[in-house]
Amino acid sequence: MIGNDIVDLKQAAAESNWQRKGFVTKIFTQTEQEYISVAKNKLATLWRLWSMKESAYKINVQQTGKRFFNPKKLQCTFFNDTKGKVVINTHHYYTVSDVNTAYIYTEASIKHNENTKSTCFKIKNNTYQTQHISCYNRLKSEVSKALKLEQNHITIEKNSFGVPKLFYNKIPLNLSLSITHHGSYGAYIIVNLDSINN
Amino acid sequence: MDKEALIASLKTIVKPYIQDENAFNNLNENTDFIADLKINSANLVDIILDVEDMYDIEIDNDAMEKMLTVKAAMKIINTKLNEQQ
Repeated sequence: MIGNDIVDLKQAAAESNWQRKGFVTKIFTQTEQEYISVAKNKLATLWRLWSMKESAYKINVQQTGKRFFNPKKLQCTFFNDTKGKVVINTHHYYTVSDVNTAYIYTEASIKHNENTKSTCFKIKNNTYQTQHISCYNRLKSEVSKALKLEQNHITIEKNSFGVPKLFYNKIPLNLSLSITHHGSYGAYIIVNLDSINN
Repeated sequence: MDKEALIASLKTIVKPYIQDENAFNNLNENTDFIADLKINSANLVDIILDVEDMYDIEIDNDAMEKMLTVKAAMKIINTKLNEQQ
């Protein structure tokens, strides 16, 4: 199982006032608050932690079948500038984050070195629905090419936990994946399709 | 607090954060903040802080954990308001 999350830093600055009273303390553990306070780039650190939590949660909800909203329960540790770990109760998730000046992208997995591929891209930042459709179409196109399946017959449906699943002619493809978009950026992560094809 | 009044006040709180106009117009007890209104989960924190400010209550993390739907939010607000009386 895999999870991912992208934060468009410009969009985040417009949408969230992280200095609002209670915001940081409701979301971040003591350790995480320390990471932020000592960081050179506080905002990048804050949103890296957030994307770690989100991407790990996307796996956790599949394992437990339980949705919840309690960001503090998802406890992050940094290993270095890109790698880290998230602990949710007894579950552990490994994360790799791409931190740049435009966005922060994190992928989470249960094991180290899972055979997956992430693709990040720019999308038109208009409505949620159009952002959503552009991401779905990019993913369908990649699956269609890699597995030589007709794109029109590929559909993506979310299950009751909001986890997207791929279907071909309504038959599940059983490919582990995760999709994310925020502001002007979208991304998906999927099991390495080359390894399935051959 | 009266159910209709509570839904109406929740509606004003969530309005700035919604990303699905249709779901917002049809907002009811069963509306899910994330699945239906497409609210960004970081903004769910803002909603919780807004609810705390508006009703002068404190929503602890255990209560917050369940706040995924309008119904759950209403239940939490009423419980906290009753505790204060």
